[in-house]
Order: sequence, then C-alpha cells, then structure tokens
Amino acid sequence: MVDQPLWEQIGSSFVQHYYAVFDSERENLGAIYIDSSCLTWEGQQYQGKTAIVDKLKSLPFSKIAHNITAQDHQPTPDCCILSMVVGQLRADDDPIMGFHQSFLLKNINDAWVCTNDMFRLAIHNFG
Amino acid sequence: MACNKEVWQDLGEGFVQEYYSRFDNTNRMELGNLYSPEACLTWEGSPYQGREAIASKLASLPFKTIKHIITEQDFQPTIDGCILIMVFGQLKVDDDPPMAFHQVFMLKSQNCAWACTNDVFRLGIHNIPV
Repeated sequence: MVDQPLWEQIGSSFVQHYYAVFDSERENLGAIYIDSSCLTWEGQQYQGKTAIVDKLKSLPFSKIAHNITAQDHQPTPDCCILSMVVGQLRADDDPIMGFHQSFLLKNINDAWVCTNDMFRLAIHNFG
Repeated sequence: MACNKEVWQDLGEGFVQEYYSRFDNTNRMELGNLYSPEACLTWEGSPYQGREAIASKLASLPFKTIKHIITEQDFQPTIDGCILIMVFGQLKVDDDPPMAFHQVFMLKSQNCAWACTNDVFRLGIHNIPV
C-alpha cells in the first residue's frame, strides 16, 4: 500500500470536508476561514471570515451538490498546502455545470484553515 | 482617471502574460527560468519536482504549435507575501479542436525577483457532464 504524502492527505480531507459542509449546511463553513482569508467568487473579492460566510450563505439556491472529478495538492515553500479542484455542481433543478476551485491552506495553532479560496464556474472556458 | 490596480494584480498579470507568451511563441526551453529551483508542477495529475524536471517536461510536450487564449484570471495576495493566480482559458494544439484548461500558479519573491513555486495544470475535459 502506497502512503500518500502528508499534504495530499490533508488537502483531500479538507476538500472532502469543505464540500460536505457546503452541500449540507454552508453557514457552518466559517470555521475553516480566518479574519485574513480572501475569497474570489466568480471574479468578486470578499475579505475576511464574516464577509466570506455572508456571501456563501446568500447564494441563491436551496440545494446544491458538488461532484469532484479531479483534485491536486502541493506543498508550498511556506509550509502551506495548495489544492486545486475540478468538478461539477448542480444547484436546485438547474443543469449540471462544471466548476474550478483553488484553496490555500495554512496551519495556524494546530488547525488547518483556508486563507485563500478562488471559485469559478467552467462556463468561462467556452468563449 | 487611472485605475489603481493592486500590486499583486499587476505582478500576477505580468507573470501570466510572460508565461503564456513564452509557452506559445518559443521552444519552451526558457520557461524553466520562471520557476524557483524547488518549484512543484502538477501536470494533468502527474507531479514534477524542481526547475529542471519542470523545464524538461514542458519542453518535451508533444505538439508543434500551441496557442492559449485566457478568458479569465484571478489574483490574490497570501499571508506569507506570495501571489496566488487562477487562470481559465482555451488552448489549441496543432490541428486539434480547442480545449478548455485551468491553471493555478503561486509566485514568491526570491532574490528580488518573483518566481513560480507552484503550478497546477488541468484540461477542462473533466467538467463535461457524462
């Protein structure tokens, strides 16, 4: 059995947790962000845990399901973890859409938090 | 009225422009110079460690011509003073149909120059609904 590098274990656990919480109770995502976190959501910037959670809570759908098709994780020189996710999502009864999301995770006080988050729907790829 | 872009956005845009210009318009041998010595690249799920391995991978990609068209790019500063970049676009290789791609870069200032320490590339094919 091949052991996954630590950053892959942490990255994939984070990704699993993030989308599980997002799809069930996204108002609880605040715990993974800190006051200096940044989110770029479809090109709009949100700064800090409160603004980020407010944005995610205000997204206009009742239900959502994410399906991850690929995820990549790398360690960074400052001991953070960079994770890139590619997948599909379905909001309410809308058609399935592709999405891309990147996270930067940092260990602060023995907990891995998300300091940077960038999300885009895949529609931008088809010009 | 001048639009005041953040410094990280300027630096990020400059890097993205240079990266794809070298990628599309040269034999890609000089792409390695954009990376730090210990940089990581994940190319379609395969990892490459270090500037030499990365340069070698990129120079050996099996096509004659390639063109990238960037449709969106996002930039963020990180707590440790790095710059995180996410790029979306399409690419056309030789006579193949255009394909979507998605790439993430992290830049760090080392020895008074910005270098890429992390690079993750994937084609957008994973998003097409089954």
